[in-house]
Amino acid sequence: MPAADERIIAELGLRRERARSVCDYPNAIRAFSVICFLIVWEIYGRRVDPLLLTYPTAVVQAAWSLIKSGELPRQMLESLTTLAVAFGASVVLGVGFGLVMGRSRVVSAALEPHINALYATPQVALTPLLMMWFGLGFTVKAVVIFLFAFFPILINTASGVRNVSSSTIEVGRAYMASRRQILLKVVFPAAVPFIMAGIRLAIGRAIVGMVVAELFTAITGLGAMLTLYGNLFETAKMFVIVIVLGILGVVLVRATQTLERRMARWKETERAIE
Amino acid sequence: MALNALEQEALAEIDLESTRPFRLADHLGLVRAVSVVAVISLWEYFGRDVNPLFLSYPSAIARAFVQLLGAGQFMQQARGSLEVYLAGLSAALVVGIVLGLLMGRYRLAEYLLDPFVYALDATPRVALIPILLLWFGLGAPAKIAVVFLSGVFPVLMNTFSGVRTVSAGLVEVGRAYGAREGKIFTKIIVPASLPFIMAGVRLAVGRALIGIITAEMFAAVTGLGALLVRYSSALATDKFFVPVIFLALLGVILTRAVELLEKRFAPWKETERAL
Repeated sequence: MPAADERIIAELGLRRERARSVCDYPNAIRAFSVICFLIVWEIYGRRVDPLLLTYPTAVVQAAWSLIKSGELPRQMLESLTTLAVAFGASVVLGVGFGLVMGRSRVVSAALEPHINALYATPQVALTPLLMMWFGLGFTVKAVVIFLFAFFPILINTASGVRNVSSSTIEVGRAYMASRRQILLKVVFPAAVPFIMAGIRLAIGRAIVGMVVAELFTAITGLGAMLTLYGNLFETAKMFVIVIVLGILGVVLVRATQTLERRMARWKETERAIE
Repeated sequence: MALNALEQEALAEIDLESTRPFRLADHLGLVRAVSVVAVISLWEYFGRDVNPLFLSYPSAIARAFVQLLGAGQFMQQARGSLEVYLAGLSAALVVGIVLGLLMGRYRLAEYLLDPFVYALDATPRVALIPILLLWFGLGAPAKIAVVFLSGVFPVLMNTFSGVRTVSAGLVEVGRAYGAREGKIFTKIIVPASLPFIMAGVRLAVGRALIGIITAEMFAAVTGLGALLVRYSSALATDKFFVPVIFLALLGVILTRAVELLEKRFAPWKETERAL
């Protein structure tokens, strides 16, 4: 219960309606749980063969050494630039194609079978083919990330465009708006909530794509570090990379969610009767 | 539209069909079919000219398909992959549903397990593959672990969400009739959260498939993923497309199967909440 309520109850001398239970302090329980886990891990981890399992203090030491040597920041920058470029491309192309597909039933019908086929194939499976075509450098990683991120954006944008209520478009037509004006000023803003939802889905998949591409090409980037340290049995450093990737995932998804909330303020949470 | 005999007769007399101009938008099925045929023909035509190491063409792929399916090794590997996939997926479903129910119903469980679930959910599961391979070796246990981890989180989080959404009024009715905890679970909470659970299962099926493929491609010993890596390393591009197409079909079949199950087991989905 919030502090203000507690104070009022104390002042008025009322009895508590239900007994104090430990469930009133969620963050304390969470902290307790995490600390217990870390302690158990530390004790157990020190006893097990260091090639297989490490313990929290070793992970922290490994993190410190990686940051100091500059290895971690460098590879992170490498990974993030590839991610940014490829994700940007997938947003631009995904939204563009999605707008066209949403507006024109013919285009949508023509492209649908191929898009569904590509979407149904696990994009991971196409990675060896892409490695054969594009070699092992920046291009193949960018293409893999692009493929992972493109389809959710495309499908969600098309869905958003199709969901634009026809009365909105009719108002545009009644005011003699040209096709281009309708597309840019009516359809696109109305579809923004769906587009942002698609981008939120896509960013998670893009990170997976980044890790997959780097695991297999294994030259530069965070995923490559994973493979390298795995081969060297440096378990502590592997954990550092996994944690960094986890933090990256949380940060990016949260950022997209905040952006989504800000940009989709006019989201129709319920449809009135059209 | 159901037309009675009189209306049909009137329409036949007016003969509307012939007066409408041909609009592409009216024949979408035709557009789709033409599109597919056009792409396959272009692929066949231009694919023959390209170096066969880089790209194959539909007829060669079809030939390789028939050849591989008959030879036996492909089906063996596919069966191996499927076994591991199903083992990991069932474990993920059981653990995910049980934990989701517990976490949803009991706040204590939620607060205890919360940090770990969110932490693991945020990490791309593929990043855990090298560590898991290190711990469990290159065989089946590692792959089952990867499939399990890929599949458990959608199920867990959707079940959790479903249990939380069970309207308290339903649970109170149960209590008013003196139902004990076990009965409340089996007769009220589980059926009410079933739509969410099925949605989680549908997500898990897809993610687990990605998990098994990535793990097998990385370990590259047995299974469909290993075949992918092997054929691409040998530059046998026509054979390479066979597992790809097989996986795509498998993904579609599995998702459809779950959708059918969803429709059968959870037809009482609350599509809109009343007050």
